[in-house]
Amino acid sequence: MPLTRRQLLSAGGVAAAPFALGACAGFSTSGDDASTDEGGITFTTWGTDAELAGFRAAIASFQEAEGATVTLNAVPYEQMFTTIDAQIQAGNPPDVFRVPYYTFGSYAGQDQLLDLTPHLPEGFADRFTPQAWQAVQREGAPYGVPHHTDTSVILYNEDLLSQAGVASVPTSIEDAWSWEEFLEVSRRVKGSLPDGAWPFAYNWQGNGVTRWLSWLFEADGRFLEDDLVTAAIDSDAGARAVRFTQGFFTDDLVPPNSSVKSSTYAADIWYSRTTAMNFAGAFLVPDATSTLDFPWGATFPPRDVRSAGDFGGNALVATKDVRDPGLVARFLDHVTEREQMETFCAGASLLPTRADLIESGIDFEVRPELAPVFLQQAAAVLPQDSGQVASPSMSAIITVLQDELERAFVGGRGVDATVQALSSGIGEATAR
Amino acid sequence: MTTTARTGAAPPAAPARPDGGGRRPGARREALTGYGFLAPLLVLVGTFVAVPLLGAAALSLQRTNGFGEGTWVGAENYLRLASDPVFWRACLNTVLFTVIVTPASMALGLGAAVLLNSVLPARALFRSVLILPMAVSGVATALIGVLVFDQNSGIADGLLRALGLPTVDWQSDGVAAFASVVLVTLWWRTGFNMLIYLAGLQGIDAELIEAATLDGAGPWQRFRYVVVPMLGPSSFFLVIMNVIYSFQVFDIVFVLTGGGPQNATTVLVTYAYDNGFVVRDQGYAATIGVVLLLVSLLFTGLRWRTSRTRDLVG
Repeated sequence: MPLTRRQLLSAGGVAAAPFALGACAGFSTSGDDASTDEGGITFTTWGTDAELAGFRAAIASFQEAEGATVTLNAVPYEQMFTTIDAQIQAGNPPDVFRVPYYTFGSYAGQDQLLDLTPHLPEGFADRFTPQAWQAVQREGAPYGVPHHTDTSVILYNEDLLSQAGVASVPTSIEDAWSWEEFLEVSRRVKGSLPDGAWPFAYNWQGNGVTRWLSWLFEADGRFLEDDLVTAAIDSDAGARAVRFTQGFFTDDLVPPNSSVKSSTYAADIWYSRTTAMNFAGAFLVPDATSTLDFPWGATFPPRDVRSAGDFGGNALVATKDVRDPGLVARFLDHVTEREQMETFCAGASLLPTRADLIESGIDFEVRPELAPVFLQQAAAVLPQDSGQVASPSMSAIITVLQDELERAFVGGRGVDATVQALSSGIGEATAR
Repeated sequence: MTTTARTGAAPPAAPARPDGGGRRPGARREALTGYGFLAPLLVLVGTFVAVPLLGAAALSLQRTNGFGEGTWVGAENYLRLASDPVFWRACLNTVLFTVIVTPASMALGLGAAVLLNSVLPARALFRSVLILPMAVSGVATALIGVLVFDQNSGIADGLLRALGLPTVDWQSDGVAAFASVVLVTLWWRTGFNMLIYLAGLQGIDAELIEAATLDGAGPWQRFRYVVVPMLGPSSFFLVIMNVIYSFQVFDIVFVLTGGGPQNATTVLVTYAYDNGFVVRDQGYAATIGVVLLLVSLLFTGLRWRTSRTRDLVG
């Protein structure tokens, strides 16, 4: 049937009407829905099933105690911070959100978070370890609560280590291998492996590049002075850490595709038996337990001048314009109570930030015998280490670390040139 | 697509009025009605295209991390861009990617279309297999690519090893990593190119081919001097689509190589993303976006200049 122009225009108008109406009505988002909940708290997070179950349990007990509603908005990690940034820019952020310690400074430094000082109970800081409390400070005031932490240890394939004649591994942090002993073990393992397999891979891919800082801290170095502005990496310790880690690649101890900007994660390489040892956080334990069909264990990462580790994990923060700061502070208080934190950490295989839980220990629901290794290693993180990672410029510093270490590891650039490039890059990042 | 002639029943223009007004009665009302129908689309395009574009242009003149008011810095971001080696590397990679992927995906698409336009057995099955990648998202395609090109446990190196050939460092060698991005993209894009060419081939009148055969043209001459010219509009459309796609490539690179090793596969959009959402230097990221827009506009302008002739068969 031929259409007349009038019929065509009418049909076009009808077809366009929904779009026009949609444009008038605006688009709603889950954030909008959540923020309309007057008198409650909106809480945006990402999480594994176990983590979300832990959050839901804590929310349920808080709601029961307070009679206030907490609306949980779970989003995929990949969308988490583009969503949060867009909501902050639109003046419509959630009341509370979850943030890695290395990203915390970006929000606190830009005056987007609530200073919790007047809202938290007396002595609140005392429940946390000093390094955990330091990780949520900005200019001496708390802008969040340390909800949990995680740190890397060595997970090893028992078959591949025993095949190389490595009969025992350190069982306490005091007995951890020195850097030199670790190299010796790695070389021995390499000698027993076929082509296409390596002694270990390090988990510094992606934003994990902050884990390279563990080597710097073990050499007793720093990347920022106490003012969190002046670069401090141009030092003997900085050069020693760069030289030692560059040696992983020049001595062929790690797979060439395991550098800091690789899209392949160390854990996946270890899963495929391409490496004998893997540096990994406690969060990997449940997945490794259900995935791997070879026997594996955990031991302490090597030490140099001292033991150290990355202060991984996440804080919970409140945005600066929350409607009811008192209620939000009570929520943050509640989720860091002993019972709530223990349930969360045991279920999700993460480490507590409360000093009493570190003291008494915690039983993971999966492979509980490994928990002491992670807990002892987490205690080796010093407040001065975690405090540096809370720098407001950390996002830009991460990019500097990725670019410059990649040039050293894959591009073959020398140690001195790398340390100088890191130093000037960090200086420029903090000056922005 | 192959014709520009209007076949609608538009009435002939009304003669000018004797009073010299020059407009037929009701013309104003009809124009208003036309704009009324256009209005929803204009509102949508204005809200979701024009306003963000202008916003990005304004952002490119500021130093801002996205929170609060930015600082106006004039052309500082553009000057910084001019002296940024990673930006130029990203430009070079983007152009190289475009120059390789566009002709290669078109040639493969044309070859497949010619094969599947003939009396090949089970051609419906082959057509479906070739078109299937189009239905897969870019991220999923790249994840498949990761399984294939992982240099420790990937399928590609496994095959090379089984054949006794030396393996390729797909992830730690810059050239090989770039090749892996190109290969995955070709797998993804060939089906689309084939589809367009297949439609073009089926629009060619069989009598033309027959006439050429009677005139003594061999298979290659028929293909080169009859089929290829008759596919002009399809080729033109595909050049435009492939170039635009190549300039906007993001997901494959982001997931497959992350731009590495050592920026060997960094392209303009991944570099803009890194600056905007990782470093949070959103003014600088917007500057890269504006440059990308200008390049796209330049290419579109060239297209407009040539489209009057290239949109016709022959």
